[in-house]
Amino acid sequence: MSLSREAIVEGLRRIVGPDAVVTDERVLVESSVDNFRKLQNIFDVHTMPVPAAVALPGDAAQVAELLRFASDNGVAVIPRTGGTATEGGLESAVPDSVIIDGSMMNKIISVDPYNMQATCQCGVPLQALEDRVREHGLTTGHSPQSKPVAHMGGLVATRSIGQFSTLYGGIEDMVVGLEAVFPGGEIARIKNVPRRAAGPDIRHVVIGNEGALCFISEVTVKLFPYFPENNTFLGWTLKDMATGFAVLREVMVNGYKPSVARVYDPGDAGLHFSHFAAEDDCVLLFMAEGAAGIAKATADGIQAIVDKHPECTQVPSEYIETWFNDLCWDASKITAEDERIRQTRNVNRTTEISADWGSINDIYQTAKARIIAEIPDVTMMGGHSSHSYINGTNMYFNYFFNVVGVGPEEETEKYYLPIIGIICEETLRRGGSIVHHHGMGKARAPWVKDEYGSSYYILETLKKSFDPDGIMNPGTIIPL
Amino acid sequence: MDQLRIVVGFKVTPDYEALRPADWARAGDDAADGPEASPGGRPGGPETRFVRRILGVFDEAALELALRLRDARAERGLQTSLAAFSVAGRVADSFLKTLLALGYERAARVEAGAALDFAPGATAALVAGGAQRLGGDVLLLGSRCGPGDSGVVPFLVAEALGRPCLTQVTEIAPADRGRLRVTFTADAGPVRAIVSTPCVLAVGNAVVSMLRVPTLKDRLATREQPVVAFSAADLGVDVTEELDREPAALVGLETIDRGRAGVIVGGATPADKARALYETHLRARLERL
Repeated sequence: MSLSREAIVEGLRRIVGPDAVVTDERVLVESSVDNFRKLQNIFDVHTMPVPAAVALPGDAAQVAELLRFASDNGVAVIPRTGGTATEGGLESAVPDSVIIDGSMMNKIISVDPYNMQATCQCGVPLQALEDRVREHGLTTGHSPQSKPVAHMGGLVATRSIGQFSTLYGGIEDMVVGLEAVFPGGEIARIKNVPRRAAGPDIRHVVIGNEGALCFISEVTVKLFPYFPENNTFLGWTLKDMATGFAVLREVMVNGYKPSVARVYDPGDAGLHFSHFAAEDDCVLLFMAEGAAGIAKATADGIQAIVDKHPECTQVPSEYIETWFNDLCWDASKITAEDERIRQTRNVNRTTEISADWGSINDIYQTAKARIIAEIPDVTMMGGHSSHSYINGTNMYFNYFFNVVGVGPEEETEKYYLPIIGIICEETLRRGGSIVHHHGMGKARAPWVKDEYGSSYYILETLKKSFDPDGIMNPGTIIPL
Repeated sequence: MDQLRIVVGFKVTPDYEALRPADWARAGDDAADGPEASPGGRPGGPETRFVRRILGVFDEAALELALRLRDARAERGLQTSLAAFSVAGRVADSFLKTLLALGYERAARVEAGAALDFAPGATAALVAGGAQRLGGDVLLLGSRCGPGDSGVVPFLVAEALGRPCLTQVTEIAPADRGRLRVTFTADAGPVRAIVSTPCVLAVGNAVVSMLRVPTLKDRLATREQPVVAFSAADLGVDVTEELDREPAALVGLETIDRGRAGVIVGGATPADKARALYETHLRARLERL
């Protein structure tokens, strides 16, 4: 028999204390969604079940008690830290769920410049950790646009990636060890070592679990020397994405590791580079960084590769550097965007996928053409590739549409989900992955079996084994 | 009046918030030798080539208010024609094409051939010339735009055109007999006036401040509509002469440090931090009140 909301709240208060349980109705309503339903948030129209409470544990032991309580009583929990998710992963899909918010677990436990690693609790903002390690002349190398607001636990839980990924890798390449709390209250710690071959690498059970298997309470990440004085920016305009993908491929195949390697299509380039790019121009850009010799060799190598493509026209590096310095979100940008949406009902959404070099341009071209033809009220359909690998790259579809004739609560059904559907279909058809770095959340969970194919067996077994009662973030990764 | 002709003059401005610190202090250099070249080599203020262009905040509001006025008049069965122009080079084209897609019938730019930062007299002469060339019963302008703006351009334009001018306009609605009901901000607060045309309205801190966005289909439908370009000479304006008459010239820029001293209040929990904030920083001050 399920507990009443009052009994749930009472149980939570016994574990973390009354001051660490939030039942304010406004907080609960806002906690029922993430940025997937940002239009509903902006217009204050809420349709998801309201959680019973937000619990703010102070340590892993309290998290363990909370999860034990949830397991014993069949209460759904949603792990959360910074709350910057974009794919519905933080939505409360079932009534009377509990948000376990790790943002009070915000201690930087150690910064170890000799062993080049830092350990922190899940609620440490990435920006705070980055600021701390910079005092030692180091960097985490992780810089998603959400850096000022995202927390370490959530970044690991969603397999985040940053703007410098081509050099430093995604978060999965940075995490050397972690601590996680599983349903029933088991606290598991994976030690911090340079590498291991003692069976499967179980870090990857935890990294990217999106709160559907466990709560990440602590992480240890690699550190890198920080040489901003050597940052070198390079940029070109060109007329088609196929050439841009080809250049990115050549750079990667030849072994260069620029921290930033991107190609923007004309629509997306128009949002950032209209002061130097023509309306039909794509923009190709790179940043080389690291020790002086490495940065120079990287920049020289890229220059030599692009020089072989006369269809690319080089632009002054200041264009790229200035753009780059203004890239991250901050609170004022988020507020301004919300106000623009409120006034214009013009909404910006993104969907990111990955595929091999042989498929990526087809996916981009086909999905774009279909969206323009099939979805009404689209005002911009574009995208860019921003994370490349030796065997392929990502495509970050960036699109805007006017919300016409429906309320904010119907925006996802009329526009957003159909667009996601087209992108997922075209990606899966060509063997790509439907999620590059935002996480599955609940938005793309309906495609999980197509994404995993026969390996879905492994995912399903993990879910059943670690979360037999189905209390961990129901509906995320695996749909209800 | 069954037909109202509205002309909006708007400014395309560098996104100053994205400017690198080093690019602020370039006055005295020939900083305008980029896409928006200054043949006269007049000091052009900060180095702004490397940041994107945006609509001035009040100019954007003026453009949207004109569309809303058109829509409101249409509901009464009244016709409205819209034209927009900017004193700018090709950098304004993408904005002008957006306006054509939104239903502005005519779009034009006035090419100054010189940098006009800190030159309100020359700017006003070109704006007045552009407005006269496009005709119109109502000229809408933004009150001011960005760092270095004097805020006097709308007054100078109105004077040059011999039209009355209302400033700090926040709302415009149709009134009877072709007149307009205009809300503007005065020292005492908001004021509503019935205004006859022709007139100049300078838009201020309007509640409606953001321009709607055309669909890709709208853009496709107006793709062939031209953006007309006028030179200063076409408008009978001698920019060099106007610049020479400017009463003030930019001679230097320096960054003002607006940093404020601060401390980070520590504590294990929000309650601890609140307590520390109160005990250490607030209590004594509050007791003195």
